[in-house]
Amino acid sequence: MHPWPKPLGGPHRSVCHFCDTLHVAEPLPEGTAARCVCCGAVLYQNRPASLVRVTAFSTTSLILMVVVHSFPFLVMDAASIRTTLNLSSAAGALIHRGSPILGVVLALLTIVTPLSVAGGMIYVCGPLLFGRTAPGAVHVAKWLNKTEPWNMIEVFLLAVLVSLLKLSKVADVHFGMGFWAFGLLMFCMAAAVAGIDRNELWDRLEVAKS
Amino acid sequence: MNDSLPRAAGQGLAGCHTCGKVAAVTLGRCPRCGSHLHLRKPNSIQRTLALMAAAALLYIPANVLPIMTVVELGDVTENTIISGMMTFWRQGAYPIAIVIFTASILIPLLKIIALSWLCLAASGKLNPSPNMLGKIYWFTELLGRWSMVDIFVVGILVALVQLGNYMTITPGPGALAFAGVVVLTMFAALSFDPRLLWDRLEILGIDPSPLKKADP
Ligand SMILES: [Zn+2]
Ligand SMILES: [Zn+2]
Repeated sequence: MHPWPKPLGGPHRSVCHFCDTLHVAEPLPEGTAARCVCCGAVLYQNRPASLVRVTAFSTTSLILMVVVHSFPFLVMDAASIRTTLNLSSAAGALIHRGSPILGVVLALLTIVTPLSVAGGMIYVCGPLLFGRTAPGAVHVAKWLNKTEPWNMIEVFLLAVLVSLLKLSKVADVHFGMGFWAFGLLMFCMAAAVAGIDRNELWDRLEVAKS
Repeated sequence: MNDSLPRAAGQGLAGCHTCGKVAAVTLGRCPRCGSHLHLRKPNSIQRTLALMAAAALLYIPANVLPIMTVVELGDVTENTIISGMMTFWRQGAYPIAIVIFTASILIPLLKIIALSWLCLAASGKLNPSPNMLGKIYWFTELLGRWSMVDIFVVGILVALVQLGNYMTITPGPGALAFAGVVVLTMFAALSFDPRLLWDRLEILGIDPSPLKKADP
């Protein structure tokens, strides 16, 4: 794979987003990070095989999302009724049972954001693998930046565990296939998001556009 | 080498919030991604404080009002965040009680206190120690999201426990207030500009860098 390219012109500089110290942005060997000389915050990191990793993990995440939505998370047997829970039923239940705003918030944090982050990463990084940019890639990359903090699938996973413990007193509850797929999804999403440095992504976009 | 490290704002340069490109602030917009360029996030302290005040106000109904209502064989029980935690504690499920206490009570409270304190330090009403303050900021940014866990639990329980006359669970108004607290504190952390803390040091003439002394 091609190493991290630098856009034409210069000097290439980097500002610490924490303390505003100005640095000259030297190219880094793969697998290392540049730190601020003033406060020690990470300035940028050169991830090995970043584009391939991001594209592969994002694609796997999308496939896992299909699995997650088709299989139940939790299966509960109580009062001779079997109830199953999948990702969309929690949001759906809140919408239908008196708290539509909360349901929409839950759907945004656990369904819409992960989907748009994974999809957006593929849309931006896939064409970059071949040195090209998709139409509107700059806008998608900006959008990725804004939505990423709102991806809360790992928090939902903890919530499933807490719910299991809460219900184990009143019913027979066990994990479904969806839960294990969701655990894998959490891992793949984390790997995809951490797979490329923001500066590298934007440098590559700038080079590919010019 | 200079006594003090060069700071971007001193040279009229701004690091783009979105793409990291360093450009002259007089350009107005980032030449690479088109985002607005600022030396510092505009009205950072006022915005953060306003969001924090709203979050602090909502924190009260979030803890007082029920987050869910359980109807079991005709008996109605209103559950608050604290009563949910106490139930786990009484059952002897101490680790999970501690997780809920940390995520739902401690983190939002610490976040409200920490961000207000950072705002005071950045506006010069307190003496800042930047490395500790920096760690506090990083901590609030990292942990805030986990407070959502109780809201997700309510969603899951409402979806699963619909057992007719035997037991049903419905969401309560406290859940919406609590979700508001989490979302507001997340926006507050995003609108705070940590560079203001270092600006304060520069005004006070304090050497901000402990790492620099180790360098030759
Ligand atoms: Zn720094
Ligand atoms: Zn930019």
